[in-house]
Formats: sequence, C-alpha cells, structure tokens
Amino acid sequence: MIKLIEKIEGEAKLNFSFKDEKIDFVTIEFMSTRNIENILKGKHALDALVINPRVCGICGHAHLIATVQALEDCYEDLKISNKAKIIRELTLNFELIQNHFKWFYLTLLPLFGHKQQVLKATYPSQLMAKAIALFGGQYPHTSYTIVGGVVCEPTEMDIIKLNHYIDETIRFFENNLVKTDSNSFLLSDKIDKFLEYEGDLITILQQIKEDDMLALGKSYDRFISFGENSYFKKAKSIKTKVNDSVSIEYVKESDIPSSFAKSVTFKENYYEVGPLARAMINKAALVKDSHRKYGDSIFSRILARVCETSQLLAHSKKLLERLDLSEPSYINPNVDISKINGSGTSAVEAARGSLIHKVELQNGIIQNYEIITPTQWNLSGGTKKKQGVSQKAMIGLSDTKTAELVFKTFDVCSVCTTH
Amino acid sequence: MTSKKQLKKELIIQSALELFASKGFYSTTIPDIASSVKISVGSMYNYFTSKDVLAKEIIKYISLYLGNKLQNINEEKISTEEKTKKIVEVYFKTASLKPEMIDYFLRIYLSNREVFKNGCEGMICVNEFVTEIMIYFEEGVRCGDLRDQDFFSAFGLFMGYLGGMVFLKGEEILPKALDTYIDDISYNIYKALSK
Amino acid sequence: MKMIKLLWLSGITCNANTHSFLNYPFIEQFLNDFEFIYHPVLDSSYTLQEIVSNEIECDVLLIEGSISPEFQRADVSIEDIIRKYAPKVQKIVTVGTCATFGGIFSQSDYKDVTGLHFDKEQKNQKFENLFDKTISISGCPIHPEILVNTLYAIKGDIALRLDNFLRPKEFYAYTVHNGCVRNEYFEYKVDAHQFGELEGCMFYDHGCQAPFTHASCNKILWNEVNSKTRVGLPCFGCTEPTFPKANLFTTKKNMGVPENLPLGVGKRVYLTLAGITKAFKIPRLEKKLLDD
Repeated sequence: MIKLIEKIEGEAKLNFSFKDEKIDFVTIEFMSTRNIENILKGKHALDALVINPRVCGICGHAHLIATVQALEDCYEDLKISNKAKIIRELTLNFELIQNHFKWFYLTLLPLFGHKQQVLKATYPSQLMAKAIALFGGQYPHTSYTIVGGVVCEPTEMDIIKLNHYIDETIRFFENNLVKTDSNSFLLSDKIDKFLEYEGDLITILQQIKEDDMLALGKSYDRFISFGENSYFKKAKSIKTKVNDSVSIEYVKESDIPSSFAKSVTFKENYYEVGPLARAMINKAALVKDSHRKYGDSIFSRILARVCETSQLLAHSKKLLERLDLSEPSYINPNVDISKINGSGTSAVEAARGSLIHKVELQNGIIQNYEIITPTQWNLSGGTKKKQGVSQKAMIGLSDTKTAELVFKTFDVCSVCTTH
Repeated sequence: MTSKKQLKKELIIQSALELFASKGFYSTTIPDIASSVKISVGSMYNYFTSKDVLAKEIIKYISLYLGNKLQNINEEKISTEEKTKKIVEVYFKTASLKPEMIDYFLRIYLSNREVFKNGCEGMICVNEFVTEIMIYFEEGVRCGDLRDQDFFSAFGLFMGYLGGMVFLKGEEILPKALDTYIDDISYNIYKALSK
Repeated sequence: MKMIKLLWLSGITCNANTHSFLNYPFIEQFLNDFEFIYHPVLDSSYTLQEIVSNEIECDVLLIEGSISPEFQRADVSIEDIIRKYAPKVQKIVTVGTCATFGGIFSQSDYKDVTGLHFDKEQKNQKFENLFDKTISISGCPIHPEILVNTLYAIKGDIALRLDNFLRPKEFYAYTVHNGCVRNEYFEYKVDAHQFGELEGCMFYDHGCQAPFTHASCNKILWNEVNSKTRVGLPCFGCTEPTFPKANLFTTKKNMGVPENLPLGVGKRVYLTLAGITKAFKIPRLEKKLLDD
C-alpha cells in the first residue's frame, strides 16, 4: 500500500507491506532531485555561498555555514576571528530554534489531532529570523558569512536588539511550551516530575502516555553527530555509550534504486541524527531519563527536539557574553581563493541533524561538490535485512496513520533530501 | 555669455597658448596676453580674473576640444582597431595643427601641478578627454578586442607613447612628420592592448 | 467579505518562498481574509492528492518554483495542474524568481526548465493565453509583504501597474540601491570597501548589483529590520531574470569601468560624474563612521 506523505517540505511516498496486519517493511521514495551538486560544478568557489542556501528554504542557513566551512577547509591556515565564529554559531542556533518551533506547531500538533497553531509557530520563528537578519541582512537566503569571516559589523545597539529578540523568544517558550522559567526547566532531570508542568509540549507528551504510544517509533538506538561547536560534539552513542572517535571518512553515500534520495551510512551502519542524537551525546539529563524509561521512541524524540530549543536559547545568551565586538569581523585571506587548489570538508549540526559538505577546488573553481543532508541519514532506505533508521521505527505498527506520525517525528525535510 | 564674448574668450585662450609655447608659462604675463589680443589689461580681467584661472580654463578648453573629437570616434560603428587609429590620428593632427595645445598639456598642465591643485583636482579639468578614453577602453574590452587590465596601465601606455612622440617632435628630434608614424604607432598600441 | 481561495502550487523549488511568506508579521489577519485550498506547510482545506485529482474551486493560483514538463507533483505533471486550474482562476501569481524567470533551478537536470511566462528575459509561448491574468512577484525568495499586499490588491480589485515582466511597479520600479545606508560611499565614489565594516560600498569591487536591480529591499526592509546591502553583503540581483549570474562577489569591470552601470545612467554621464567626485577627498567618508 502506497501512501503519499505531504507537507514535509515536499512529499515522499511510503510503500507499506503488511504481514499479519502489521507493517513488516516500508520503502521510502522521493520523486525528484534538483541536482544542486551538478549546478555547482565549474562555478567560482564563492558562488557556492549564494547557491547553497537555496538547497533548502527552511534550513538553508545550515547549508551556508557548511559551505563556508568546507571552503575554508581548503586553505592551509586561514585566520578567522573568534567574533566571526561566535556570530556564525549564533545565527545557526537561531535557525535551529525557528525550525523546531515550526515543526512543533505546524507539523506535530495536527498528527495528534490538534489544530495547527500558526501564530505560535510564526511568532517565535519570526523573532529568530529577525535575529539572523541583524547579522545577515535577511532570512531566508542570506550569504553573509564568507571565507575569512562575516560581512557584518554589529554594533552595541545591534546586540541590545538581539538580546530582546532572544529574551522574547525565551518568554514565549516559557509561556507556551513548558510553563515554567527556563532555568528550572533546564535543570529538570526526571521525566515523571517534568510531566507535572503544563504547556503545549506537556500536553503532547501526556497524550502519548495516555494513548499508549510510549513504545512507538523505536529504532536502532544508535546515534551520531558530526558537527562541532561550543555546544555540539562530534561523537556517536550506541545506546548510552558515547564514543567520540568518529571520522567523516567512514561516511558513505549509496544509491537507492527506487528513489532519487541516497542512503548514507557510517562504517556500513545506519545511525539516527538530530536532536535526540545530540542530546544522547551531550548526556542531556532530562532526555537521558526519558531514554532510560522509553528508549529511542517518539516520546524521547519529541522531547529532545523541544528541549534543544530551550537549551539553544540559553546557550546563545551565554555565547553573546563571549562576543568581543572589538575583534575584526573579517580577516582578508592571505591567499586569494582563485589560487586555491585542494579539497575541504565540513560538518555542521542543522535542525534535523548532521549536514556534511565536501568540495574540491582547482584554481578556485569547483570541480566537485557533495552534500549529505540530515534527512538522508534518518531516511536511508535499506533492504528488508538491513533497514534504515526510520524504516525500522515503523515496523510492527498496525496502521499507516501511526506510521506517518512516527515518520514525521524525524522532522523530515524533503527538499534537503532531494538536493 | 554672448557669442561675441565667447569668441573673445577663445581668442584670448588661443593667444595665451601661443605665448606660453614660445615664451614659457612663467615668463608670460597677463599684460603680454592682453596686448597680443589688443585689449586693455583692465578688460582682460573681465574674462579671466588671474593667470591661474586662465591656466585652468585653457586645460578645460583643450580637454573639451579633444573630448568632442574622441566622442565622435567612439560613437562610430567601427572596430576597436580602427578606433585606435583614429584616436592616434586626431591626437597627432592636433599636435601638428595646434602644437601649442598639446605642448600646453604636456609641458604646463602635467609639470606645473601646483597651479592646478585648486579647482583642477585629480583629473577634473581633463574629464571630457579621460571619459572618452575610458569609454574607448571599456567598449574595447566588452566586445572582446582588448585585454582587461587596470585602467592606468592601459592609459599610461596609450598617452605616454603619444606624448613621447609629440615631445620628440617638439624637440625637433623626430626625422619625419608625425603623421607618417600613424600606422605603425596605432598598430603597436592596438597590439599591446589587444587580447 | 468573501474569502479569497488560494492554491499554492510548488514546482521545482527550495520552499524558501513558502517560509518567507510565513515571516509576514500579520499572518493571522491574512489567514482570516484568505483561505488556502492547498499550501505546502499550512493546514489547508484539501490535500495535494485531492487537488491534483479533482477540480477544486479556486480564485488565485500561486506558483512557486520553476516549471518543467518533466516535473510532477503527486504523480501529475506540474504543467497539467497549471492547465487545469489556470483557466478558472481570476489571477495567477508567480511567487519568486524560479516561477517567474526559471531562476537557479533552470540549471537543474530537468528538461526545459523555465518560469511560467519567461525563460530568463525571453517570453515563453507555452502559457501565453494566461499572460494577461498573471502578476509576477520575483525575488529569491519573495519578500512576504510584497506578496501579501499584492494579494490584498487582487482581493480589493485594485488595478496594479505592472512592468514588462508583469511585476507591480510600486515594488519593482525602485532599485535595491534606493535607501541603502551605504549610498554616500557610492555617490562620492569612495571605492575602498572591505568586508566586515560599516563603511564602504560593494558596487566597485564586490559585485553589488543594487544600482541596477529592481526591488524594494532597502525601502521595505527584510524581516522588518535590515537588508543585505545594509549589513555589507552585496546585492546578488535575485529579483532579476538573469539571477543567478556568475562570480557574484566580484564586480565585472572592463579596464576599471564597471560593466553594469546604475539603471538608465549612460556610460558618459556616469564616468563624467565619477571623474569629478573621485577627484575630491571627503574626510568624513574616508574615516571610520563611529571613530572620533
């Protein structure tokens, strides 16, 4: 039975096979590809900074940050100020935060029989878009970070404004998602106690409990994350065992016969990426407690995504304190990019998980470009014997509606997948 | 300004140019110029309030004169190679027919910068001429005839070459008439600037 | 007042117009005045499956993304979906540069990728019968206010004056240069620009296309706070049929003269003025804006 899954930044087809009235295999099909990697070939390296955000309208900023880092990785010793690094990290955080709000209020609520809450999605995400626009001029589709730093020169007044946007978003979170002050929320480490709060997140989590859905959506319990910054770590977590020896060289992409999307593995295995993976690697107390009780189920996955929103807001405030405006925003690279021959790789944590970019340059012209998106990880399509993460999470369910719910807890991004 | 006054003004400029060429810029006085056009020193000041003002007006006059000629060439639908030759022709023709004009540009404007520093900053007073040279270069590159490079490296090559030839002519070192060199020099310049 | 029914149809796209639209500040008001029979993110009256397999009543067709005869949505050719809905609607709006001119994805592997009526500057014959009912809102992405207010104009039956590419002049008669806070550096030809500074103009070296790009980015600010050129990022000309050009961070010059000059300004005029202003130094514009 084929079901068209809509409103995942595009569509995908899930082809379910049932056995004894339970799903026993699902193939995932994406019906198109834009082949951006081909568009990039032969282009001037810096043009990738304009083209790549256009991979995706909802997480294009992560593609920008991945692009600039991949290009910078082609240099032997390129200097970037701490200020530029912090600004890049901040704007990327803001994109993650706005993605998470949109996912919760636009995608998740209807799956639990609630009406979409458009204003609750757009109000905080517009604040975060404003925060990005302070540095980047606009959102979506800025190209404000370039090889050597960032183009903007924020002033003290910009920082005051920025603090207002962040504070207002925190207030929104506290008044809506989990009705408590963020400090006590961030200190929560017991999921049962946490469920005594009120708020839109709690409503959903309670509903999962009451509707007996706690065991839904479990997969391999195997997580990975490649993006590194002041908050995220590069590591993998097999159940709760965290190991930081992960290298991108073991990441492999392969074709899926029935789909335009490509599968991706680490050392031949499928891994889950995204907020739950990051929380497991960061040993976030509340998510870990939920994982201890309910495993890598939709409950933990939903909790992790919403928790991350609050954590990133708090972390952004801390990052801002470290921002020294007297440092240079941009340091002119000592070698012009038109003289650069070499290759570069980058990994950043996007809203939905690890995003990897690889570039090869010859005299500053792009010879080859590869993009591996987070959704590719989670939606890799394996065979019946060796299933992908989301495939496995849907096995054993008795109806396609629930399967769609499980599928969407990965926050699927079709446009990214069909780059 | 009435056309009569304008004519008079041009007459003064022409006389001044000739005097500067024969006597030198510093040795030529306002009374010298006044007497050469047969007007009183007093009425001379109705036209130009000082020798410095006159000096600047002259360079603007020359720039406009050459600029207009170059604009006509630029507006013709001909190849960059042909344009190059026509510009060289205009320049040499002017140097032969009005040697005092080119002489003024080379010997006075370029070597007495202190006279021109107020009111003739940068290339303002030769703007018409330089603008046309820029258009000639820009269109040459755009249509693929000329090699793209910095403006001044091309400008220096072009003007330095022509100026040098006129200088040699002025010093009576050049064995032949200027216009006999037009073909070779246009060829050399075009060769040097083209792709 | 009657709710206007909108169908938001996606072609080959990155969905940024969808998300830029969600940045419209008064979205609730908008959703009270308009009904989406389908939208790629917002809850809507019908599913995509229903849209492509039935004929649902609709007033305005919004098209996002470039169009190719090969491209399908829910197994139906995008061109067939357009052919089904276009004749019945009162207006068609091409949302974004891809839908208007083909945009970035005209370089994708699909066959014959174009905008609805234009393949870059070239007019298409294919949907010519729809030309008179189309309004183009170009931009990569669209500015939410420009899209929303155009829809309100349609709702209010206000006749919009359009340019040759069917873009409302009220938004596209301006250039991005209008209202840029770096204008003085342009006017007085202070041509030294370094990234990461409040000062300087990106037109001379860094590829800024603002003086010859039709858009209101510096008049109707982005996210209500800023614009690319204000922060120091060149305008990439994303509202124009030529988007994206190549070498976007470098100004194409011929012997030092910018190849693209401010809209409607002749080369002779430009160079004459440039020659004059360049001759002067303006100390205020030579020093840092906030220094003593």
